[in-house]
Parts: sequence; structure tokens; C-alpha cells
Amino acid sequence: MFHYLLKRIGLSVVIVLCALLALFLLLHLIPGDPATIALGPRATPEAIARYAAKMHLDEPILLQFQIYLFNALSGDLGVDVFSERSVTRIVLEALPSTLILAAVGLLWAALIGVPLGCISAVRPNSWFDRLTGVISVATIAIPSFLVSIWSLLVFAVILKWLPVIGAGEPGDLADQAYHLVLPAFAVGLSWVGYLARMVRASMLEVMNETYIRAAHAFGLEPRTVVFRYALKVAILPTITLIGIGFGGLLSSALFAEIIFTRPGVGKLIYDMVMNRNFPVVQGAVLITTGVYVLINLGADLVVAWLDPRVRDSL
Amino acid sequence: MTPLVQIRNLDVIFDTDRGPVRALRDVSFDVPRGKIVGVVGESGSGKSTVIWSIARLLSANGRIVGGKILFDGRNLCDLGEAALRDFRGRQASIVFQDPMTSQIPVKSYRQQIIDILYRNREQSRSQKIGHALAMMRRVGIPDSEQRIDQFPHQFSGGMRQRMGIAMALLMKPQLLMADEPTTALDVTMEAQIIHLLRSLQAEMHTTIILVSHNLGLVAELCDEVVVMYAGEVVERGPIGAVYARPAHPYTQALINSDPARVTERRRYLPTIPGDLPDVRFKQAGCIFAGRCPKAFDRCRHEEPAAHVLEEGHDARCHLLDPRQVASSSVTAASRQEGWVPVDPGSNVAATEPLVRVRDLRVSFPGRGGLASLLPGAQPAKIDVLVDVNLDLRAGETLGLVGESGSGKTTLGRCILGLIPASSGSITLRGRELTRLSEREFRPLRENMAMMFQDPVGSLSPRQSVRSLIVEPLDVHRPKGFDRDAVALKLADMVNLPRELLSRYPHQLSGGQARRVGVARALALEPDLIIADEPTAGLDVSIQGEVLNLMRDLQIAHNLTYLIISHNLPVVRHISGRLAIMYLGRIVEQGDCEAIFRRPAHPYTEALINGIPQPDPEHRRTLASIEGEVPSVAFRPRGCEFHARCRYAQARCREEPPEETVLSDGRTIRCHFPLTG
Repeated sequence: MFHYLLKRIGLSVVIVLCALLALFLLLHLIPGDPATIALGPRATPEAIARYAAKMHLDEPILLQFQIYLFNALSGDLGVDVFSERSVTRIVLEALPSTLILAAVGLLWAALIGVPLGCISAVRPNSWFDRLTGVISVATIAIPSFLVSIWSLLVFAVILKWLPVIGAGEPGDLADQAYHLVLPAFAVGLSWVGYLARMVRASMLEVMNETYIRAAHAFGLEPRTVVFRYALKVAILPTITLIGIGFGGLLSSALFAEIIFTRPGVGKLIYDMVMNRNFPVVQGAVLITTGVYVLINLGADLVVAWLDPRVRDSL
Repeated sequence: MTPLVQIRNLDVIFDTDRGPVRALRDVSFDVPRGKIVGVVGESGSGKSTVIWSIARLLSANGRIVGGKILFDGRNLCDLGEAALRDFRGRQASIVFQDPMTSQIPVKSYRQQIIDILYRNREQSRSQKIGHALAMMRRVGIPDSEQRIDQFPHQFSGGMRQRMGIAMALLMKPQLLMADEPTTALDVTMEAQIIHLLRSLQAEMHTTIILVSHNLGLVAELCDEVVVMYAGEVVERGPIGAVYARPAHPYTQALINSDPARVTERRRYLPTIPGDLPDVRFKQAGCIFAGRCPKAFDRCRHEEPAAHVLEEGHDARCHLLDPRQVASSSVTAASRQEGWVPVDPGSNVAATEPLVRVRDLRVSFPGRGGLASLLPGAQPAKIDVLVDVNLDLRAGETLGLVGESGSGKTTLGRCILGLIPASSGSITLRGRELTRLSEREFRPLRENMAMMFQDPVGSLSPRQSVRSLIVEPLDVHRPKGFDRDAVALKLADMVNLPRELLSRYPHQLSGGQARRVGVARALALEPDLIIADEPTAGLDVSIQGEVLNLMRDLQIAHNLTYLIISHNLPVVRHISGRLAIMYLGRIVEQGDCEAIFRRPAHPYTEALINGIPQPDPEHRRTLASIEGEVPSVAFRPRGCEFHARCRYAQARCREEPPEETVLSDGRTIRCHFPLTG
């Protein structure tokens, strides 16, 4: 277990380092001089030289990377070109909002999708199963930004049930929750389908296992057999899938933030790209990568925690 | 006293894509209280379907269409879901065939036990656990307080099956149904489980239905036996009467074809030619008529009635009809009882051996890296084979025997170069194999072939039989052969019907798939065939066909066989010499007959005594060997068998025995050989 943890954390660090390198090189591949971009076309040569010296742009590229690497590892991702605020702080301020959106989207999708998949698997080929199948495929097929736009139009603009934009008054939890409903709906919808399909497939497989028959033979309640026996095994591959799919979840959250004008990493990246504020974009992408890597590690650890066979083979 | 279970005219149908299969037809028998009733039959006989019908847990496409199952006078077919749930587990419980797959891997035994005892509302949690611990101790699980918190994968196969029995008995059911309870276990474990079931039955007066294909097991354990064939009961009666005076030709054939009864090496094993009838369609006449050596006209038109032979013993056969004129003198019955023309391997002179293995050692890396530095970790390398010496002479058959984990399969694969040797030498006709590169080894593999354990699983499902058979030629001699001619020749050689050549593996029966495996092994005309469990998973009647075929091919092509098996009767039947492995060492090696007559190593003795004999008059009173095989990662000191050895002395615990040669030429690793 200890060995496994070390290995996984080491691997995560390598992934983040690769992301760092890629981002760094990307910046150097972009045509044009960073100082000129930062200071604008009307900057004087002296200002550019001063800026280049301050940002170590006159050093050899390897040294630049080394400085960048050590700064990044010590939490310093540079400063906002305009406001001079720390990028780390800006991104970390925006991050919770995005994570809550993604988590709530996933949560409601799981609360609906997992039981749908279970019931479909218990009664395969029933009308319920067929209907769930159709709905699942439909929700998977619709891109999340379309869901965002349409739900915004229908529920906020036409029916006026829910707010159109923003994240609600700071400090007012009820208002924030009220503002979260539509974006979370849009982010989670396709996951209802994903989870229902995934759970159904693995439940069908598990329900044929001998130990399920054995549980019935011991006279256990059908509900116990389905939810405490079969689901406990069938959910394992689903958890891994959620970890891998979390990247997709983040990107739908970014779309939702832009469409609903919510604060968050997505909105931040969008605004900063528009303003050509590259240090912030870079920092935001890096931190998002780190979050993704962490979530994947977490999913694998949850599987190991739930499945003693995996736990012992680590 | 009425019997606990009365099955009357039970009909069960499974709906399949190819139409309804009539899996059980007119099945009737009684299970008397406090008795053990064995249900015997080959695959497709419907013996397990009987159990699942009683538990009312037929798979979704199965249904009971007629008859009744009375349990304590109550018809189980009329019960609703709630009443059935109450019946299951509380009044009737099941021990499953494979404890590996029948216990949920993600729940500890403590959780599973609490789940099973959910109906005992009056019991507190600690009372439930106390009850479970007592049951675990009763079935022989040491350290039950600690082990109850473990998960199924942390138990060995034998312990897991003990746990399966404990869980089935937790609610003290009146009826225990055991579906092939020892099939997934080693011989020594099987003997222990049989012994346990018998003592539990005597103690708790539980009524037991035991489903098995193993006649020896049934003879050891049961009071009464029901013989089934293709979904019908053909004979039933007290165990002694049925085994001593089998009345139905199928029962007779089944008992005769058990290799444990045919110990002479040179005799062909009796078989039951033909295939199971297609039970999708109603058969006219006797269900066994198509394969019965004694069948006559009436058998093909008229269904036989049950004829009572003596109290409680009846069989369905026209021959037993007192009005039946003895028109059918037994003509065909002796056809198979032939003798092998020459004893293969008897003419092997003291020539240079075909394969010579010396001081072979195979190690696998243990958990490496940082984990190996932690206390209690496994050693950095695990020895799977240790100091193995073996000679295979051209034309002989060597049986390699041992329990699972003994390294017998590893040795076979190592000779084929599929697993690298860590040290020692393997020579083929004097040529050293262990240091060859894959490119140098490849042409040598033409001389060696492997028959894999799982006959169907070792065939690619997407290739036709024809391309499977010629595949070895495609690999080694890709040019210049006529595929169709070769395929036909090989199919004929292994008696595989030619029309099967265009089929795919899943369309074959187990015996046919095994023949394809033999044909593949023969394709390159090798000298050596290594057969890993050649009869595993085959029915008794098919087993004989495969062994006879292998015998004939050996004589025709002067093949050398290395037979890897845990099935001692099979090995005894086919082998000239025997090597017994324990924890990666060969503990005894020598002439097969001599070893069976008088084993020298205590382990060999225990294995031989562990074979259940198909003779209810000679039941063993003791499990032949206690304890379990230790892990190769943590080898015991001294003689590695000492903890399980009945004869172990102080010296055995300290000093590992060297390989010594006895006067009759056997080699043995034991300080105190039983023959000495």
C-alpha cells in the first residue's frame, strides 16, 4: 500500500512536471516577444529591456525554465500583467467555485444515474430499461454548452424560474444555491446518461456472478442483494471512469461559467485569454492539471479502499 | 416418517435462442430425513438443475412446468417470493462448487455473516458474531477471531470452502445442498472436506443432497444415490446396492469408466461412445438408447418404466422388465475392454534420455523496490522450483503430480522455454536449452508441443478448427504444405469428425475441443508432448476416450509424454513413471506401479490414500492429510513437508533431506522413507 502510494504520488509529480514543461515551451513557441506582448506595441525599447531583465527573459532558455520550475514549485506562478496580483492567489480564489459546480453537477447526476442503471440492470429489456437507454444516449449525445444555452433560455429567460447570470450574493448560501441550479444541471446532464449506462453494464455482469446467486440462496432481501452486494462490486469501474472523465467535467464547467457568467476558473481563463494576460492563463491551466491529477489519484485510492483485492495487491 | 424432500414428476424447461430445452423430465425421488443423498451424472444430466429447482433459484430463462417439490409436506412450487426467501437460508442452504466465485470479494466474512443472520432479530450483533465464531471453529478454521475480519481472497481454497460450509449452516437449515463442493479443491483438501461434511452431518442431523460427477466422492459420503442422465433419473437406490449391483447400463458404464477402478496400465479405459441426445426434442423410447451398448428395438420406441429391483432400488430399463424375453444377449459390451497391444515405454532402454533436467531452479521476483525493505515483507525472490532433477526417456510417459502451487506447471513451461530457468540445466537430446535465445529456441520447439489445461479457452475463438489445427505449421513451416490435406490427416488421426473442421471452438463439446488440442500438438510431429491436466473438466466417459487416444498415438508415433495432473487415477492409468512434487521440489520419483503399490514418501502415501474409491464398502475413516500447503514465499525449515507429515521427527524439522536413491531405483527426498 505504502509502496503503491509512493509510486502513484511520484507519477503524479511527473505528470505535473510534464505539464509545466509543455506550458513553458508553448510560451516560447508563440511568435513574438513576451515583453512586447506584455507591455503592448507602444512600449519603448528601454521599458522592454527593463521588463526582460526583471522577468529573466535575457537569460538562456534552460536557466529560464529552471527559474520558472523553482518558482512554480514554491507556489509562485508569477503575477497578473495588469494588476500585479499573485497568479496563484487569483486562481485559487476562482477554483472553489468551479470545483463546487463540478461536484454538484456530478453529485446530482450520480444520484439519478446510478439508481437508473441499477434498476435497468435488475429488469433488463423491460420498458423502463429501454426508456432509460434512450434517455441516456440522448443526454450523452447533447453537448453540455447546448444544454447550458437551452436551459438558460427555457428556465431563466422564458419561464423566469431561475436566475440568468451570476453566482448569487456572497455570504447568502440560499441565493448561491439558487444560482447553482441551472449550471449544475447543464454540467451534470450528460453524466446521468454515462453513469446509467456504465452502472447498467457492470451491474448486468455482476448480477450473473455466483456470489449474487449465493446471496439469494442465503435468503437475503432483494434490495440488500442489489444495492449492498451487486452495486458494491459494480460501482468500482464506475469510480475509475469518473476519475478519468473528470477532465471532461471540468471543461463542461468552464463552458457553463462562461455562458452563465459565473466566477470560476473557466471564466477566468476566458477573460484572461481575451486580455492576453498569459501568466494567469498559464497558472490556471497548471493548477487545473494538478487538480485533475489529484482527482484521478483520489479515484484510484477510493477503489483500493473499497476493493480489498486491489488493496492487498498494491 | 415422511421424507424431508419429495420430488414428484418434476419438469423444467430452459428457454434458449435455439428453442426450449427440456432440462429435467419426470424427475422423482425422495430425500429421507437425516440422510445424505448423492445425485450423480455427467455434464448435461441436469443434476445441478435439481438443486436450483428446490431452492427455486433457476436462472431467469428457466421455469418449472410440471410436477411438485414437497418440503416437509409443503409444495415449494406454490410459494410466493416472500415465503421462498424465508425458506432459503433458513430451511435449506447451499454449499457452492467454487468458493472462489461464490463469496463476494468486497465484503469481509464478518459483514457477510451479519448479512446472513439478519433474520435473527432477537440476537445482538455480538451474539451473532459469537455464534459465527463457534461455527468457524467447528468447521476447522484456526484463529477464527482474527480471520473473521478477513476477506475471501485472503483465505486458501480449502479454508474458503470450510467458510462456505460454515455460512451455509449458520441458520441451522434442515436441508443442505452441496453442488460439487470439492471439485475446485486439491485431493488432500477434498478428503478433508468430505470428512468434515460427514462429521457435521452426524452431529447436526442435517439432511444433505450432494451433487457430484465424482463417483468416488459419492461412494465415500452418501447413503443413497440418484443417477441422472440427460435430465432423467435412470436409477436410484441405497449406495451399497447401486454400486454393487448397478442395474441400468448407464450406471454400469459410468462405474466401469472410472479410472480409479482400472488400475492396469495396459487396459484401455472403458468409455461411453456417442453424445448426449438433443433434449430440445422429445425422444422416442429410452433416453440412453442412442449410446447404450445393450439397446434393442423396444428401447428405441418405448419409454422404459421404473422397475423395482429390491427395497428402494429401482432403475428405468427394459432389460429389467421381467416379461422382457432375453432377446438381447449382451454382444457389444466387451468391445471396448481391449488391451493396448504393446506397453508403451516398456522398451525404453538405458539410452540417452530425450530430456534431462539437472538442478533446475526457477525464481520469480518478489515485491521489489521499497516495499521489500519493510518489515514482514516477502523475500526479494521467490523460488518456485528448487533443485529439480528429471529424466524423460524417449517413448515413455512420465506423470508429474502435485497439488496446486507445487510448481508442476512451471516445470512443464520451463522445459518448453516459456519460463526462463534461473539456474541449472535442461537438455534436449544433449543440447542445452536454458541459455538459448528465443531465436535459437524456436526451431527446437517443433520437437515439443504443449496441450493446455483449458481445452476450449486455449483455442482462439475467432479461428475455425481447420486453421487452428494447421496453425503450428503456419508458424514453423509457412510454405509448401497443403492446408486441407494436413487438416484432414490430423483430424482423422485424433478421430475428430471431418465436418467439424469448419466449426469454431464454442461450437465444440469439451471432448471435441480436447481433440483439437491434441491435433494441434501433433501437427509438427513432435517427439515430446507436455500435457497440462489433459482430462481436467472432461466427463468420465470422455476422459477415457482422450486417454485411450493419447495412448494409441503414443504407440503409433513413438511420442514421449510429460503428463501434468493432480488427478492420480488418471496419471496412474497412463504413466510409466511418476514424479511427485511438493513446494517446487520433486519429493519422490520412480516406477508408477511400484510407487502406487508402496509409496516411499509420506506425502505420496497421503496423496494415494486421498483418492476417493468408488466403493462404498471401503470408506476411509480419517482424512489422510491435515493442514495446508505452505506458501513458497515462506518455506518451512528443514523438510518442507514436516508440519503435515504423520511420521515427522526432530531431525525433519531441522535438516532438509537430500535426494537419495532407493534400492529399486526411485529417488526420494525423505529422512525416513516408508519402504526402508
